[in-house]
Amino acid sequence: MKKECIAMLLAGGQGSRLYVLTGEMAKPAVPFGGKYRIIDFPLSNCANSGIDTVGVLTQYRPLELNAYVDNGQTWDLDSSTGGVHILPPYQSAAGGTWYKGTANAIFQNIAFVDRYDPEYVVILSGDHIYKMDYSQMVERHKESGAACTISVMEVPWSEASRFGIMNVDGDDMVEEFEEKPKHPRSNLASMGIYVFTWKTLRAYLEADEANPASENDFGKNVIPAMLGNGEKMAAYRFTGYWKDVGTLESLWDANMDMLSPESGLDLLDESWPIYAKSISMPTAYLGKHARVSHSAFNRGGDLEGRIENSVLSAGVNVEEGASISYSVLMPGVTVKAGAVVEYAIVGQDAMIGENCRVGTSPETVDPLAWGLSVLAPGCVLEAGTVVPPKTMLDKNGEEVAR
Amino acid sequence: MNGLHGILFCYEKRNDLKDLVETRSASSMPFGGRYRAIDFGLSNLVNAGATDVGIVLHGRYQSLIDHLGSGKNWDLSRKRGGLKLLPPFAYERQGGGTGEFRGKMEALAGVRSYLDTIRQDYVAMMDGDLVVNLPLSEILEGHIHSDADITAVCGNDSFAVDNGTYFEPDSEGRVREVLYHMHTPRGYRGLEVYIVSTQLLKDLVDECISRDQYSWRHDVLQARVKELNIRSYIWTGFAAQIRSVQEYYDRSMQLLDPAIRVDLFAPERPIRAKNADKSSSYVGPAGRCVNSLVGDGCNVEGLVENSILFPGVAVQEGARVRNCVLFRDTVIRRNADLAYIIADKRVEVLADRTLIGHSSYPLVLGKGACV
Repeated sequence: MKKECIAMLLAGGQGSRLYVLTGEMAKPAVPFGGKYRIIDFPLSNCANSGIDTVGVLTQYRPLELNAYVDNGQTWDLDSSTGGVHILPPYQSAAGGTWYKGTANAIFQNIAFVDRYDPEYVVILSGDHIYKMDYSQMVERHKESGAACTISVMEVPWSEASRFGIMNVDGDDMVEEFEEKPKHPRSNLASMGIYVFTWKTLRAYLEADEANPASENDFGKNVIPAMLGNGEKMAAYRFTGYWKDVGTLESLWDANMDMLSPESGLDLLDESWPIYAKSISMPTAYLGKHARVSHSAFNRGGDLEGRIENSVLSAGVNVEEGASISYSVLMPGVTVKAGAVVEYAIVGQDAMIGENCRVGTSPETVDPLAWGLSVLAPGCVLEAGTVVPPKTMLDKNGEEVAR
Repeated sequence: MNGLHGILFCYEKRNDLKDLVETRSASSMPFGGRYRAIDFGLSNLVNAGATDVGIVLHGRYQSLIDHLGSGKNWDLSRKRGGLKLLPPFAYERQGGGTGEFRGKMEALAGVRSYLDTIRQDYVAMMDGDLVVNLPLSEILEGHIHSDADITAVCGNDSFAVDNGTYFEPDSEGRVREVLYHMHTPRGYRGLEVYIVSTQLLKDLVDECISRDQYSWRHDVLQARVKELNIRSYIWTGFAAQIRSVQEYYDRSMQLLDPAIRVDLFAPERPIRAKNADKSSSYVGPAGRCVNSLVGDGCNVEGLVENSILFPGVAVQEGARVRNCVLFRDTVIRRNADLAYIIADKRVEVLADRTLIGHSSYPLVLGKGACV
């Protein structure tokens, strides 16, 4: 069935910089914002942008992610002519390999893309929090007649040297791409979201695969090769909220941003809905002594304690006398009476016993010794346990180095 | 095929829900911050392993059909069986006239061919306005073991409900008297949940209709109480029949009691509902929200106390909401003051307004009203 445009979502990365949070699941399956998984953002964007066919490339610990994506019905992507397809690496007559890089992952699925014979392919990443209309980007791609369109956003000049920077001409056509330049000449950073004309990309993927020196990566190999050959490359300027949540700090930041629509991340705005899989749990109950302030919470929980500046997922229970501030609690976490949780990320179904103390606010300790405290999914803290700042525990309660 | 088939009766206008049923039937009444009344009946059936459920529709059923969709939320969207909607055009009463029926037996006679398609040996008949979490598979087992012809599930009280049915069993649990229209109710309050074998149900329907008898409770239960082995099952947990504004309000407020919630939302028998597709709920820096149930995507900047908020409710800064039930997407603007109010969907209360009802007379604001 011919489609004008399909999307390929790179969801195979381990997300090693999320450490214990991705111990047993791929990064796109990590819970976000109390209600979502990270992958809800690109998939909802696809649905809202009118893209009804999405290939999800999985490789690392796919069980949780596969179960979550299911048949795509959550995002209205259970279409009979397209829909969501999970694409793991596979064996063929000539053997098979793991996905070696982002470009190789698409290369290995050329047959999948060809089934839809699309004019354009949108390449998406599974670790970004943002609301974006891909159809506008495809429109820009068509109008400019480019072979590749790269979405970019302005970043503060002081931070430009941390990004892949695009130098553009007066028509916002890319002239040069510099990976983490020492002396940036532009502050337009690549967001890792691409639109390709499929015919052109297909040829470059085959050439890239034939080159044994290549790392088979879009940013490192394919984009530079296209630029080097003088292909028309357009930049698409994006101005809304966008965050790569590949690190513990950025994941925590993005959760805090969600609490303040001023940050640009307004999830209460229903004109561009982000869908999430429904959980069969009753309405959230805020108890007689609950003191909830500047915090988000979800169904299935009884909240009795003090909760400030925090994001609580479904099924989180906070007993009376417990106190939580500046923290992210993932689904099913229990915080017992008298426990204090500050500046922490707590993984699914973790249990924080009575009078435990997890994390500390940055004002009270030496800045070098301070950092977020992180508990792995399933971690159980006996009553009275103290978890210092900048400490991470695995599911057996043992410390993990960062 | 052994197993349980569900038939849910969704009536209209036999109750005192006033404005709240202006645009919906009692079965689609919002309840508990995220549910519709019928979610409970459907979930009870599905949790007992029922795969096929027929819904007898009557009156203003558009909102109900909207809610049910294909039945997917209850895993009832099936190739074989699943959810079967039985709207009034199916009822062809002898002598013409469609769209209305006088009683359950007449409604079932109208869908007689549907009864023939039931694959299961037993049928659970329930009313769509009942809020309960029954262990129906246990009740079915008890029904089979006790050799009952009909099992009537009763609440453990003789609480007066509008148009209620009451059962008086003997010490063995066999029902000796079936009563209704009583000024002072006695016996056990019937929950209008009945287990009966498919064959007996079909026989009863055929017999009744041949004599122009249409009422389940008059022509079957009362008339045949001696001849049939009618047994009671007494349910001691929470069970609300939503038939008046006052009962709706009182029963809603009971959910603020944790023990009632544990009972109604037993995790081993989850109540499934349609998803609201809203974001997390949020209480702002100046907000205060206590002893309340808060649905998805609410935004509380003011005070909320002893209340139930459905998804997408906004309470702005300085506003006070006490002892209220606010349906979906209702907005309470700055410094408004509400107590004992039931606000239907998309109500807007403008800044500085004061609206105070009483626990014995909660005020209802109609759908989409702007105060």
